[in-house]
Amino acid sequence: MYKAEVRGPLILGNKSYSQITSDIIAPIDNKAPLWWKIAMGVSLTAAAWGVVALYMTVRYGLGTWAVNNSVAWGWEIINFVWWIGIGHAGTAFSIFLLILRQKWRTSINRAAEAMTVFAVICAAIFPAIHMGRVWLAFYIFPYPNTRGPLWVNFNSPLFWDFIAISAYLLISASFWYFGMVPDFASIRDKATSKVKKAIYGLLAFGWTGSTKEWLRYEGLSYILGGIAAVLVVSVHSIVSTDFASSVIPGWHTTLFPPYFVVGAIFSGFAMVMTLMITIRKFYNLQQYVTDSHLNAIARILVFISLIMGTAYATEVFIAWYGGNEYEMFTFFHNRITGTYTFMFWAMITCNAIIPQLMWSKKIRSNITVLFIISLIINVGMWYERYNIVVTSLAKDYLPSSWTVYHPTWVEVGIYIGTLGIFLTGVLFFFRYIPMIAISEVKSVLKPTSVTKYTKNH
Amino acid sequence: MSKPYFISVFDDEQKLLAGIKAAKDKNVKIDEIYTPYPMHEVIEAMGKKSRFTFAAFVYGFLAVISILSFLYYTSVIDWPINYGGKPTSAFPSFIIITLVLTIASITILSLFTFSIRAKIYPGKKYIMPDLRATDDKFIMVFEEENSGSKFEDLNKMLMDCGAEEVYKKEL
Repeated sequence: MYKAEVRGPLILGNKSYSQITSDIIAPIDNKAPLWWKIAMGVSLTAAAWGVVALYMTVRYGLGTWAVNNSVAWGWEIINFVWWIGIGHAGTAFSIFLLILRQKWRTSINRAAEAMTVFAVICAAIFPAIHMGRVWLAFYIFPYPNTRGPLWVNFNSPLFWDFIAISAYLLISASFWYFGMVPDFASIRDKATSKVKKAIYGLLAFGWTGSTKEWLRYEGLSYILGGIAAVLVVSVHSIVSTDFASSVIPGWHTTLFPPYFVVGAIFSGFAMVMTLMITIRKFYNLQQYVTDSHLNAIARILVFISLIMGTAYATEVFIAWYGGNEYEMFTFFHNRITGTYTFMFWAMITCNAIIPQLMWSKKIRSNITVLFIISLIINVGMWYERYNIVVTSLAKDYLPSSWTVYHPTWVEVGIYIGTLGIFLTGVLFFFRYIPMIAISEVKSVLKPTSVTKYTKNH
Repeated sequence: MSKPYFISVFDDEQKLLAGIKAAKDKNVKIDEIYTPYPMHEVIEAMGKKSRFTFAAFVYGFLAVISILSFLYYTSVIDWPINYGGKPTSAFPSFIIITLVLTIASITILSLFTFSIRAKIYPGKKYIMPDLRATDDKFIMVFEEENSGSKFEDLNKMLMDCGAEEVYKKEL
């Protein structure tokens, strides 16, 4: 059994290779449990509400939303940034930890990557519908056209955003899928029913596990991993420049790119924690996703929470120290106090204060509390985006254009809808895809494979 | 046309490595090895090397040049637009978009390279010498003609190294 020096054994229970395969593909072989069906029903209902809300938006236009001349970005951009943030963890998890040769990632990366793909799909809905005429969304592609040919503005962060998100979706989906190919082959070769053999056989792309395949497979993982690591940083930096390159008080700051990237990884890791606790609880995978794994995620969350707290404090400090009265107003009279006080303090409490509880070992080993904290962080990160988007726009330079923004049911509906789409995707993932990377877990089962493996790099 | 192969099955990576060493010492040509997870020693023992990272670098290099040329063509030659008097050839603001598009290009080209070189694609007809290779066994395969060894000798040699079984199969 491989025992990491700091972390102890990565997989508990003296498993054999065959047991690992059987344990992980058990949910695919067994019948769907009752809770899964109920959860699926709820998710599909939520997604259906989203579809109705999207239909209203497309049919009647953006007038169905509460956004206006002052608060031109409402819930849609809040939710876009929130989902993109959640979508960062998969790549951050798999890729940073892959590059850093952290073996404990093997039990978690698959679920984190799945989450990334579904979250990015949800995120992509928002900017598309925000264009107003979504059927003309293809105008954003830079192709020789009959409109001039008028090219898109390559200097605009909004265009960079489109490209960055498309590239991010492409790379995370392919990284996720090709990671699954050997596992699909395992299911194919263990399957007893013809239908299952045919479906997973098709998904496995004819994988056999030969050295020729493993050699290129490893090469592909490191190439995609290496370049996607750059993308993790650049995607959210670009999202932040959508804000920071404007002249709106509270947005116009050089702190934004690192602040956004760290915030994204924070919310993503919190969602990974939520998901992993759910998986191990409902599918009895405690021997693969051990307490030690959750402990490691909790430690990372405490660390990132400190960075978040520092970023919030820096923003407020610079607003005061910079001596700009508009910045002062935004932070001291429109966030710390004022109409949006609740959102500001909810953000501070959820993101900077409550995660500090995880300094305590007792809290880190209490799975229920960890689950609740992970949910609180996700709520807090939503409030952070609310703070950034709404407070700055609602009261900017001209008091005559000040306004108060409350979303309409259509805007809330789209958000609920994306939650439904995300959960539907995750539930399908639970049911039909191996939730833990089988071949990767096997590679850390024995000490010899790990030491040799590490030595060669 | 199917050919006869010797298939040896191991249940442990150390035994497999011993088997590989024994085969190499006796100059028995190994046709292919199938493992449930990537093993660097096995890949090295098979003498396989990949120039994948170099290919990815070339893709990136070509992508950077093509993308920058494309941006220059669209923004300066084909349809220059005056954004508040800023220069049309705005190199610094091309950097980020070039970076992201380069990453996208490397990804797409690397996926195709992987698919072509490892011969992994949807609907591929594959030959799996032993189905247990994707589960818990390490399978070493020798082609009868090329191995330069008789079944009995090979069987004895591999069983001495800890093989679980050695059998003959037409593939």
